[in-house]
Amino acid sequence: MEPVLELKGVSVSFPGVKALDEVSFSVGKGEVVGLIGENGAGKSTVLKVLNGIYRPDSGGVFIDGAPVRIASPRDAFDKGIAMVFQEQLILPSLTVAENIFLGREEEFLRYGLISKSRMNAAAAEELRKVHLDVHPGRRCADLSFADRQMVEIAKALSLDGRIKGDVTLLLDEPTSVLEKKEIDLLFNIIRDLKQRESIVFISHRLEEVLAITDRIYVMRDGKVVFETPAKDATVKALHQHMVGRQLHHEYYREARQAAPTAVPAIEAKGLALRNGFSNVSFTLYEGEIIGIAGVIGSGREDLAKCLAGHKPIDAGTLKVGGKLVSFRAAHDATAYGIGLVPSERKTEGLVASFSVAENMTLAALPKFVSNGLLRFGDEEKVARDWIARLKIKTPSVRTMVGSLSGGNQQKVVLAKWRVAGVRVVILDHPTRGIDVGAKEDVYELVRDMTAEGLAVILLGDTLEEVIGLSSRILVMRDGEIAATFDAAPGKKPTQVDLVGYMV
Amino acid sequence: MSRASVESIPLWTRWRSWAPVAVLLALCILIRLFSPNFLSVSNFIGLLNSASIPLVLSMGATFIILMGSIDLSVEGVVAVTAVLVSLLVENDVSSYSIGLFAVPIAILIGGAMGFANGVLHVKLKTPSFMTTLGVGFAGIGIATTVLGGFTARISDQSIRFLSLGRVLGLPVAAWIAFGAVLLSLLVQERTRLGRWLYAIGTDEMTARHAGIPIEKTRILTFTLAGLFYGLAGVLSVAQFGQGHALISQGRLFTTVTAVVVGGTSLSGGVGSVLNSVIGVFVVTILANGMILMGVAPYVQQGVQGLLIIVAVTLALDRSRLDVVK
Amino acid sequence: MMTAPRERLQDYAPLIMLVALVFAIGFYDRSFFSSSNLLTIIADTMTLFLMASGVTFVIMIGGIDLSVQSVASMSSCVLAVGLPRLGFAAVPLAVLAGGAAGSLGGIVSTKLRIPSFIATLAISGVVTSVGFWLSTERSINISAEDSAKSLNWAVGQFLGVPSEIWLGVCFLAILSALLDLTPFGRLVRGIGSQERAVMASGIDVNRTKIAAYALSGTMAGIAGVIMAARLGSGSPTLANEFLLPAIACIVVGGTAITGGVGSIWRTFVGALIVQVVRIGMTFVGVSAFAQQIVFGCILVAAVAITMDRSKIAVIK
Repeated sequence: MEPVLELKGVSVSFPGVKALDEVSFSVGKGEVVGLIGENGAGKSTVLKVLNGIYRPDSGGVFIDGAPVRIASPRDAFDKGIAMVFQEQLILPSLTVAENIFLGREEEFLRYGLISKSRMNAAAAEELRKVHLDVHPGRRCADLSFADRQMVEIAKALSLDGRIKGDVTLLLDEPTSVLEKKEIDLLFNIIRDLKQRESIVFISHRLEEVLAITDRIYVMRDGKVVFETPAKDATVKALHQHMVGRQLHHEYYREARQAAPTAVPAIEAKGLALRNGFSNVSFTLYEGEIIGIAGVIGSGREDLAKCLAGHKPIDAGTLKVGGKLVSFRAAHDATAYGIGLVPSERKTEGLVASFSVAENMTLAALPKFVSNGLLRFGDEEKVARDWIARLKIKTPSVRTMVGSLSGGNQQKVVLAKWRVAGVRVVILDHPTRGIDVGAKEDVYELVRDMTAEGLAVILLGDTLEEVIGLSSRILVMRDGEIAATFDAAPGKKPTQVDLVGYMV
Repeated sequence: MSRASVESIPLWTRWRSWAPVAVLLALCILIRLFSPNFLSVSNFIGLLNSASIPLVLSMGATFIILMGSIDLSVEGVVAVTAVLVSLLVENDVSSYSIGLFAVPIAILIGGAMGFANGVLHVKLKTPSFMTTLGVGFAGIGIATTVLGGFTARISDQSIRFLSLGRVLGLPVAAWIAFGAVLLSLLVQERTRLGRWLYAIGTDEMTARHAGIPIEKTRILTFTLAGLFYGLAGVLSVAQFGQGHALISQGRLFTTVTAVVVGGTSLSGGVGSVLNSVIGVFVVTILANGMILMGVAPYVQQGVQGLLIIVAVTLALDRSRLDVVK
Repeated sequence: MMTAPRERLQDYAPLIMLVALVFAIGFYDRSFFSSSNLLTIIADTMTLFLMASGVTFVIMIGGIDLSVQSVASMSSCVLAVGLPRLGFAAVPLAVLAGGAAGSLGGIVSTKLRIPSFIATLAISGVVTSVGFWLSTERSINISAEDSAKSLNWAVGQFLGVPSEIWLGVCFLAILSALLDLTPFGRLVRGIGSQERAVMASGIDVNRTKIAAYALSGTMAGIAGVIMAARLGSGSPTLANEFLLPAIACIVVGGTAITGGVGSIWRTFVGALIVQVVRIGMTFVGVSAFAQQIVFGCILVAAVAITMDRSKIAVIK
């Protein structure tokens, strides 16, 4: 029998990164398929292709064996594919019923006006399916977060019975915001639905995936690397496939990894951010690299932002260089010598229309001013120095930074903080979207920095990177530090060790 | 993800949505203390009269602001329609005299200008504040050109009745405004357009994903607003007995103030036409109060400016940490 | 990045347009070319340019200042009321009042996180009230002797060229230097291009933004002073009808409403274009009233052409 939904050899590329590489994937009728993998493995991208948000560059999508082109999420919906997103898309000002039937109100029109009673009655039907006991006429702004998630699911389920043809539900991390009780409820709903519908389920919690799915795909670096019936799978085996690659000691310049000094650069005690993280405590020493591992939602990105002053912390104390600090904005943090190399290079790391020199001096403008005027000559000299030191490939110091390659752009960002003389550098996905050669350069630069006594916090793109570069590793899960590992060269933890605490 | 999320909505937020009504009540009490005249029947009738045109204008403006856009063309559209009406009915400049037929014509012209607003905004992909600013100025220009800077005094009694007449003791204009509010409420709550503009104002991406026709909705909303402005143009001529290009000078300011003070958020997706009704009364009663208390008229603009700032600040949704330009 | 020939053309388009317009009108009526006529036109343009030059900074950071005409009017009232009592000191006082009003708009917009067009719209209401209050609701004459004592730098001539032109060119130089040679200018460009990146680089963005609004108010104040000097009186409605042309100058000159790019000389050329179009329409016989319509169209067209759509995901 033909699978209900299938991807054959689908590839999707974005500038600088191949998100999906010849992925083949299928869902049978009444089957629950699980999709697991590390961050950036491509799981969400697969769903977004199925949901019509991305279009495959090559390969094809098939519904019931027939090739289709899915033009938009609405189109996907009309073809029987409904998705529940990780980020909530419920509109708070509208009622439960209005959210469920958003865009599909024609069904309830009477003389051109929406019949609230009919829409509410239909919504009540859908709410019954998810055992959600709220009045369909209530505004979603008044509902709790978890209830809103259930409305989101009800919205997807409303497809059932409204189109002919098979229905497939795509669930992207539906449980990350739910409590145990609600998760059990969701699983019961899924077991019910299996009779009529097919489901694709993404979760970073492997126990869940093993509990509810029939078949599991493991993805890594945009490829499907393993497929197994759920009953034959073990957590350990799945971990192995999720991480897979061998560590290259050379690649991460482990030889240059030195023991940290005993001078604390940052001391964090009990840091907390609402809806972000809680109870985070650690000490970062000069010359040290602390790597933080964790999936999306683990709280590590928020932690990085808070340490750099982008968001204020709600509780806990932070000391920089021995002094108690309280950051309300990024410029507070830079005044204390903390610089963030952001993950969004093009919007937060650099001003694309500025030249290389102008970007390099942006965090230290006062150093290049006399009598109120900028000293262009000095600027360019300093820029030339760093271009040489960091081996940045650019036609000149006056070239617009937007035209440089990703790797060279990242070097400019690093140079900016070196010029500003920061003592702590926070690297948020520093090698994202950069080719391999440039990555090695960046690793070399990171070692240079620690050799000069700077302290580094690293949110790595891959576990490999975190393990290879760091002297110590913090693993975060669901907002808390789940484990700490020492990572001296020769005594590094394995990726499987880490993954066990991440998921 | 830690679950300290919005389980119950904090007390402050719940209270905040009642703030405009509280302000209105406080204002009434305050003014009554200063001036016993405030609650007299004649003053009340005067208030209703003063509030009629702002009510109609704010209906149109509310739809646009709910959608997340802004409409700076209010004065221009009212000017054009007012001037046209004054020339089409019995007046001292031209020889037309089509009586009440001018009303639907004015409304349609308003709609046409609103349509132009929408099309320019959507097709040129230019922010609404710029396109409506341009259309607004063009409108004043057209109105000025047509009358050559003069004023047309009307003598058509049926038009004047729309403002001066009384039905069941209340001004006709007030009844018309009331009707406009009811119609707006219906559109807002029971039509797809109404629901869709909330969606677009909250999160355009979600609205697009759901298959809502974004461009069509935007154009329709601007057209709808234009229809209301056209009606306001008729009422303006009825009220002042004349038509001239500057007949609606200052209306933009009071309309935006009323909508914002009423509690509709400038970023879109939050608020309602009922909020704007409260807002209009706050602004009108404030102006009325200031007159009763002997405050100079020019102070009103300043007070309104302060009111806008306070209202927007209080209504601020701090969770939207985007860059504000 | 090398600019393509097409982009270079766009760079110089305003200047080319200006020259073309001047020749077109001169062709229609040779008297247009007389030096006294041209000088008068340029002199008349200067107050508009001065007002628009400050707003250029605000537009370059990605905001807008709708309060400039009220601020200019208010400053003229401060001047007219202050001259008899304070002599020349009334001049800096009026200018400072403008700067204060501008800063207020900046503070409201940044600290209270209110979109700039609402914040400055609201401030313009407050400022107008202040203007009316100061002048007790009427226009205030500036006596000839007061003017001769304190204002003859603004009116009159120097080396055969009207003072306004000297002032205009002076400020063109100063403000251009501010934009191109100072850290403030660089930050203005940066914030307009990519505010997040500038923030992330540890810059106090709010401080720079408020300074830009303060500058806008100051220039509006200077414009108001000069207008009052030329007219011989200050009034709370002195600069009415100047807001739209001021914005038009900036946009027609090629500065994008989206921010990050632009220059003061562009505003200068834009101001000349606006003035030439206005005068040209009169020369050619278009009524003063219809000119509003033309301006409305030019404004929308210029913005639509120059704005950088890649910077705005959703156009509201």
